[in-house]
Parts: sequence; C-alpha cells; structure tokens
Amino acid sequence: MTSDNPLAEATVERVAPPAVLVVFGASGDLTSRKLMPAVENLALRRLLPPGFSVVGVARTEMDDQKFLERMQESVKELGDNGEEARHVWDGFAAGGFRYVAGDYSDPETFKKLKDVLDEIDEQRGTGQNRLIYLATPPDTFPVVVRGLAQCGLNQPASEGAFVRIVIEKPYGRDARSAEKLDATVHEVFAEDQVYRIDHYLGKETVQNVLALRFANAIFEPIWNRRYVNHVQITVAEQLGVGHRGSFYESAGALRDIVQNHVMQVLALTLMEPPATFDAGGIRDEKVKALRAVDILSPEEVAHDVVRGQYRSGWVQGSEVHGYRDEEGVHPHSQTETYVAMRLKVDNWRWAGVPIYVRTGKYLPKRVTEVAMEFNRVPHLPFAMSQAEGLEPDALVLRIQPDEGITLRFGAKVPGQAFRVRSVSMDFFYGAAFLEETPEAYERLLLDALLGDPTLFIRSDEVAQAWRIVDPVLEAFEEGDLPLARYEAGTWGPPEADALLDRDGRRWRKP
Amino acid sequence: MTKLAVTTIGSWESENVTVGQVEKALTDLRRHQQRAAVRTSVLTLVAVVGDDAEADAARSIIADLGARHPSRTLIIVLDDEPHAPNCTDAAVWVHAIEREGRAVCFEEVVLRVRGKARHHLDSVVEPFALPDVPMVVWLPVGLPSPGDPLMRAADRVVVDSRAVAEAAGDVLARSATLAKRLPVADLSWMRLVQWRTMLTGLFEGQLYRPFLDAVDRVEVHGNHGPRYLLGGWLLRRLNLPPARVQLARDDHVSVVIHAVSDGRKGTFTVARRGAEREIQSRVDIEDGPQVDQTVRMREQWPSLALASALTRVGHDEMYEEALAGARDLRLAEGGE
Repeated sequence: MTSDNPLAEATVERVAPPAVLVVFGASGDLTSRKLMPAVENLALRRLLPPGFSVVGVARTEMDDQKFLERMQESVKELGDNGEEARHVWDGFAAGGFRYVAGDYSDPETFKKLKDVLDEIDEQRGTGQNRLIYLATPPDTFPVVVRGLAQCGLNQPASEGAFVRIVIEKPYGRDARSAEKLDATVHEVFAEDQVYRIDHYLGKETVQNVLALRFANAIFEPIWNRRYVNHVQITVAEQLGVGHRGSFYESAGALRDIVQNHVMQVLALTLMEPPATFDAGGIRDEKVKALRAVDILSPEEVAHDVVRGQYRSGWVQGSEVHGYRDEEGVHPHSQTETYVAMRLKVDNWRWAGVPIYVRTGKYLPKRVTEVAMEFNRVPHLPFAMSQAEGLEPDALVLRIQPDEGITLRFGAKVPGQAFRVRSVSMDFFYGAAFLEETPEAYERLLLDALLGDPTLFIRSDEVAQAWRIVDPVLEAFEEGDLPLARYEAGTWGPPEADALLDRDGRRWRKP
Repeated sequence: MTKLAVTTIGSWESENVTVGQVEKALTDLRRHQQRAAVRTSVLTLVAVVGDDAEADAARSIIADLGARHPSRTLIIVLDDEPHAPNCTDAAVWVHAIEREGRAVCFEEVVLRVRGKARHHLDSVVEPFALPDVPMVVWLPVGLPSPGDPLMRAADRVVVDSRAVAEAAGDVLARSATLAKRLPVADLSWMRLVQWRTMLTGLFEGQLYRPFLDAVDRVEVHGNHGPRYLLGGWLLRRLNLPPARVQLARDDHVSVVIHAVSDGRKGTFTVARRGAEREIQSRVDIEDGPQVDQTVRMREQWPSLALASALTRVGHDEMYEEALAGARDLRLAEGGE
C-alpha cells in the first residue's frame, strides 16, 4: 500500500492515523481476549498515534473507569507485559477509554455514543476518524448498522475523515442471509468502508502462502494440473466445542470453518498471480479462483461430501465426552463437527485436479496445512522392489502450528544395493526467523486503521464462498446426508477415508 | 525483541591455525550435536574490531541478535603488532537458541589476525562465507579506508557514525562516499527510527497531512550526527530550502515542525524528555486540538539497531537522502 505521506518509508512500520476505535460488544470475550491485547501491543510497538481512543459500547452497565480497569485486567491475565504496559494503560487513563452502556435497539444509545465521540474529537484531536468494530453476535449486525446510520455515524463528518466498519464472521448463515446482510450494510456503508474480518488472513503464515508462490520462480511452473495430482487442505482442531456448545449447535463445522478459513486458504492456494500486490489485485484473483470452484449437485454432495460428529474417545491421553454430551448440545444433535469434501475447479490451471478439504474437532492434533501431491514420474527405471518406499513427491505448506514447508522426494538409501525411498526435507519459518510475529488481530486492526483492506474479505468473496458451501448446507439441513460418527482423537470417520480410497488416494497424516 | 535463552553446545580453540582447521572444527562441533542440525542461516556477519574489549562488546550484541538473524558470525580481532608474522588464532563456538522446543544453532568464530593478512581480510573471511547468503561487514567503531579489500567481499556494510572517532561532519561525508559503492546501514540512523516513526505517524491520514505542504520552519536539536541526519532527511523529503531547517546542539534529540494549513498554525514536536528515557510527540494546532503522547524509549538498543540494519539487504534510500540533505545543510553553512 502506498502512502502520500512524504516521510513514510515502505520498510518502516506505519503508525495509525488519529482515530477512535468504537467497539460494539465491549463486554464480550472477543473484546477482552483479542481486541484489547491487540490495542495494547500496538501501543507497545508505538504504532498508535497521540490521542488514540477506544469507546466501548455494550448493554452491561459500567462507567469509563470500570471499563478501562476491566480491559486492562483482562489483558494482563493473558500475559503481563510489565512496566511498559502499565505505562501504556496510564496513558489511556487520561480520557482515552470511554464507555457507553445501552441497548443496541435504543436510539438513545447511539445519541450518547455520538456525544462521546464529539467530545473525544474535541479533547483528543481524533479528527472524526472512526473505526467501528462489531464484536457482537451476528443477529445484532443489522440493528447496530441502522442505529449508526440514524445518528449519522456511518459517514465521515468532514472531508478527509474516515468511518470504517469491521464485521466479524460469520457473515450470514447462508448465501441468502449473507446477501441480505450485505444489502443492509450497503444501505448505510459503501463497500470500501466495510472490512470483513477473517483472522486467518492476519496470520503471517497464511500470507506466506503468497510469498512462497509469488516470490519464487521454482514453484509456480509446477503449480498446475500438469504436475499436481491432487491437493489436500486440512484444518484440524484438537479441541472439542468446550463451552461453545449452544453456539456450535447453530453453526457446525461447515459454517464455522469451511465457509471462511478453508475457502480463504483454498483461494490463496489456487489463485492466479496478481498483477499488483494490493487489495484490488489480490482480492480480484481470489474471487476468480473461488468462482471457478464447481458447485456440487445434490448427487455430488451425496457422493463427495462426508459429515461427521465426534463421539467419546481419548485425546492427548484424556478421555473426552462425545459431542452430544457436551454442555448446550441437544442429545440427538445432527450438527456436524467434521466435514470432508472433494471439490473440483473448472479452470485452465486446475481442471481435473481434485481438491480434498477436511476440518474437524477433536482430531489427534491441531494443524492447518495445504499439501500438493505431485504426479509420479512417467516411467520408473527401477524395479518395483527397489522403490518400495517411494511415495509421490509432495510439497506441504504448514500454516500452523509448526509453520513451514516440507518437500517430500525420493532419495537413494545408502548402501551397496540401489534402493529408493521417500525422504522429507523440512523448513521451519521459526528456524529462520525466531522473532515474534504480530498476532493476527494486531495486524488486522492496524491495517483497518490505515485503510488497507488487502487482508479483509470483499463482499463478492463472501458471496462466492457461500455459493460453494450452500448446496452442502442444504443437504445437511434436509438430512439428505447421513451423519457419520467418529471417535474423538481419530482423524475422522471411515467414510472420509473411503472418499479418497475410491480415487486410489489416501489422506495425509499431518 | 524478546531475549531468548542461548546455550553454548560446543566450543574449540587453537593457536596458529589454518582456515581449513577452523572449518573442520565447526563441522565436527555441528556433527556431534544432534540439535545443531537445524540451521537456517540468513547471512554471514563479519565484525572487525581492534582489541579484546571491542570483541567482547561485539559478541555480547551478537548473542542477542542470534534470535533474530541466525547467522555465521566471524569476529576479526586485528592485532596491531607491526612486525608480527602472518598467523591466526581461532576460537569457535556453536550456540543454540531454543523456543517452543525447537533449537536453532548459530556459529561464532573469533579470529585474531596478525601480520600482513590484516590488510587482506577478504582472503580470511571468504572461505567462511556461507553459500548463497549475503555477507555483511560490521565495523563497530570505524569506517573502511578507501580501497579496503574487505569491502570487495561485502554485500553490505554496517557502521556507526556516532562511534567513529573523528570530526562528525567528515564521518557523514565519508559515509556518503561509501554509500555510493555499497549498501550502508548506519546504526546512528537506526537509533533515530523512534523519532522518525513518531514524527511520520503524526502525518498519517488526512487530518494533519496538509500541514506538510506548507512547512514554515523545522528545528532539529541533538548531537552533530543525529541533527544533521534528521535535518537532512526533512530537508530532502519536504523539499525545503536549507534556510528553513535550523539546527542546534543538544544532548537530546528533538524535532519541531512549524507549518500552516487553512490559515491555522500547527506545531508538531517529537522530543526526548530530558534524562528520562521517554519520547514525547505533540500536536498543537492553533484554535484546535493539542494532543500529546509519551512512549518509553526501546531497550536493548545495540542489538535492536544492528538487527534492524541487517533486516534489509539493498540500499537504504531514505538514509542516502538524509546524507545528501546533511551535505546540503553543511554547504549552506559554508562547510565542506
């Protein structure tokens, strides 16, 4: 992103412009566990400007001081940053943290908010710049957005000022509701004011997929149907639903992970090289990639999708409940905690290359990775017995937790006999760069303040992701697809293995 | 920059050795240590110092650096005994840094070089250069003499204009000459990043940005190097005539920009507050807001500045502009 600030340097971190961060859902978990640590870290890294302020809005009654104390305390619980952090919070104490208590459906709440914002502009020089963050349940989005519009808080009050709105996932429950939400948001905000957040995009390692693909000449020539046999995308979680049972009952793995995280990783993996590395260039290519994903027919859903739910089992040496025994979950719940799918991409680069994706809870380990498995050599000049241990070559991009790249290839086993076996060469980002990388929310919050939407999701990306997921969702909701049960602590139901087995392939063990 | 625990997992030393013996010692140390197998080096760092005290200081800075730029480090101690025969003593360490259960190793080699080889350091360091990664030469207390053969081996040179024991104006002029041949990182310039970032940050967004189009006067206080570098930077980036940049000597750095926008006067200040390790930035608009912010100065400066210097591999255009601006200011004063 370029800046017209003549003093700015591309290689030096940029400081956010004067602004107020307005957080709806200020008494919630997301605010205390993610947003406020991000604010503290940005301040510790000297990336917030003088006068930067936070206004919390929520139903819970409390005053400015209590809000400040609660936020400081909750950030400290996650990790005490010592004297420096106390200095930062002391700085905020001089009018930098304000709180508005009220119901989102009450116009009075927004009037109070407007008065507070005007006061802050006058006292702290924030120049009517606002970043509004909706850290609230999705059903409140329309009412908050309309409330903002009624008080004129959706548009900049003066030339050169900005008002941006950050919206958390899930963005709708299906294509129709997402479209409806978009229409509501677009009634009051222009698309370039809307920053839809998927924190996966703020992860350094997700951005590294772009660096690996587009900064290296050796990978792109083989990144296509001529060389790639198939792609496997895995987003595995080691945890169950925990205390989020009632939320998860209305979400499921498809909405919670596939529609957003998986689709974003898939788009970055399959997209064409962008002409420019800016918001327009990257997001245009991601949309094109998503648009090329074939929509599954009802027959294909039945054939190419597996839905699963965990039952009791053992994870990391501990016995765990089945999903139906979790708090807030219906004893006969049909909600999926696991999804595996076989997708097709109809474009020049990927035609005929199956893309297998899977995600699930209570799998053996937490891992997110993209694996490209390559075609075997056209002719193996050794006897089969000499190449017994030879697997197809593979390139694995590990996104978390051990971020890095693994290349699997064949090598001669040392000794008199000529035997070939697969070996893996590992590269860990952590081994090359041990420095700490900014947390995803920290990066994304700063980008939103600076007006850089590259790592946020555009309206048409959301629509394309729902377009892919919708027929599957429909089949789930109609009960057209049997719910396979899998033991917690395993890699999913046997039906998921069968999905690849019938193509003569098998899932990787990450 | 978080400090990580560094463990020494092997060492070796010997007198009057050949390069081949040192190479073999490194290989043996690595081979005997399973965890030394993971090494993803990003550069070869060569530090050239004049005595043991300087070598110890450099080693201590590099120890903090290992976490950020795993590298092979050579510290060359020049023995200035004029008639000493050509010979080299060596000490070698392999260190590991651990985080989240994974160890990354880095190597440190101290070579005491005597005799005529002191004038041919390129031939000493080249055999130790890791393949395909840049070689960065760090001169903690000096600038290279013209024609120094070591510069032929370097892809980048790191200096500290503040630490060079000669007239500061000459140092900046010599740095400018050096920067025409090689990418140069000046740790003095790196240390000023706090002032530069905070000053730049005041003009992010549209609120105060227009003031930069009508700068009336800039005042820069500080020691010679910092004030000329910051003054030169602002002179060039804001297209100001030298007369509008006023420099004054002070032990602490401060920058003030006086500007006008829409008929309103604005004063923008970034200044170190006395002896306290704090920097204050302040915006003061006539009939408008007056806001300020105080941040603590960063700790771990020697390593942090060096780490920042090693982050880039090409020319630092902003620094080169600052040097050119510093020269303009000196010329306007009747210097050079």
